[in-house]
Amino acid sequence: MLKKLLLGMAALVGVAAMVAPSGASARTLDEVIKSGTIKVGVNPTFPPLGKFDEKNEIVGFDVDFATEIAKMLGVKLEIVQVGSPDRIPFVTAGKIDFVMGAMTRNPERAKVIDFTVPVHTEVFGVLTTEGKPFKTWKDLDKPEVTLIQVRGSTPVKFIEDNLKNAKVTLLDNYPDAIRALAQGRGDAIIDVVDFLGEHMNKHKVSWKVLDAPVDIYYCSLGVAKNSTGLKDWLNVAIFELHRRGKIDEMWKKWFGIDMLKPTQFTPYF
Amino acid sequence: MDYTLQFGQVWPYLPRLLSGAGLALQIAFLSFCGGLLIGTALAAIKAFGPGWARRLINVYVVFFTNTPQLVQIYFLFFALPDAGILLSPYVAVLIGMTLNAGAYLTEIQRAGFESRKQSEMEAAEVLGFSRLQQIRYVILPHVARVLFPPLSNHFIIMTLGTSMAAIFGVEELTGQALNINAQTFRSIEVFSVTALIYVALTLLASVALGLIGKFAFRAKMRLA
Repeated sequence: MLKKLLLGMAALVGVAAMVAPSGASARTLDEVIKSGTIKVGVNPTFPPLGKFDEKNEIVGFDVDFATEIAKMLGVKLEIVQVGSPDRIPFVTAGKIDFVMGAMTRNPERAKVIDFTVPVHTEVFGVLTTEGKPFKTWKDLDKPEVTLIQVRGSTPVKFIEDNLKNAKVTLLDNYPDAIRALAQGRGDAIIDVVDFLGEHMNKHKVSWKVLDAPVDIYYCSLGVAKNSTGLKDWLNVAIFELHRRGKIDEMWKKWFGIDMLKPTQFTPYF
Repeated sequence: MDYTLQFGQVWPYLPRLLSGAGLALQIAFLSFCGGLLIGTALAAIKAFGPGWARRLINVYVVFFTNTPQLVQIYFLFFALPDAGILLSPYVAVLIGMTLNAGAYLTEIQRAGFESRKQSEMEAAEVLGFSRLQQIRYVILPHVARVLFPPLSNHFIIMTLGTSMAAIFGVEELTGQALNINAQTFRSIEVFSVTALIYVALTLLASVALGLIGKFAFRAKMRLA
């Protein structure tokens, strides 16, 4: 009994130590190299950036990318599972060396963490089929236009606010929505088009992504503010991976389509 | 649990929920009427028709009463377009629910047809009634009275069953509830209000059906 109690208390203390803000700051590049392991945060709820495979291991574009980075640095890779709300605290607390998972750069986030040069883009835009007359997303604001969207996804609110005249059919999930579009149940879908690639490829339809997107997100690696040397090294590594076409290759492998908007990497950063 | 109920966030959306409720009732009513027509015709054929027709009807009834309604509508909505038939979400749901109701109502009415009194039928025949006249003037009034309670029950079940239309992009009550839930994340509030609306719908329907039954068919109904 006493033993059990002691064990329980020990466990509690252990949990408390994990939960309490450790105060540990970010590791420098030297420390990462010396430890022999780089810790990378990946969100497994963003397929194909990160997802669980049948062996319950996290795989995806982000994992392939991080593997490549670890190889270049000559260290082992440790994937740490992160979620949307905790991924930035994980970086600031030094639990991970950098975070991935479609980290869109914006000034708010940049107050808290540093960003590398962009790894990839995401196009929040319009997917339609060949032969439709639309030029920009604003052309969709007509009563004869039917948009197929996924129930509960964020673009639905955007459409309610900005495309009041269009009709909207809400389906349950992305495969169903893309199939409905392929079958001709609607004219277009507004969403982050890159993520639709794997569903698009399942239908023999000539798809068209409008050249004028609603928005483009530039996604980088999130690094702690005081990670001396790490961010600079990552910038060089990302540039190299871009230059060798490695990133495009990995993108095509996981997304089934080319990156819609190239990152336009430059040697100056 | 540290959660404060905020029904105030749901009230602005109440008109959307109510319009969804109207649509749910409309779908249930139309498909029930369609199903009733199919059911009456098929039950009559089963009672008086040739053997091959009866067997054909049996296939239809067995198929539709032994597969989930959801799968039937999936078939209409996603499989038929590959054969070149594109039904709108509303029409696909309506046809699916009508065919399903038709099968169940055939079975329910068959029992009614079988419970007809031989002496009444003989009397009708003596008076020179044709088969159709016998069905119209002797069997149906009789069937209506006996079957009114089970038919009403089926209507209530169908009203609740319209909730699956949300999967096919029909913005009935459940569809609207899902949308509002996605915007407010007030799941407890949204779905409890939605459930209450469903309760109100079915109570309303059973009272209305009870009154119709009482005055039109003198059927014994328990008014809810």
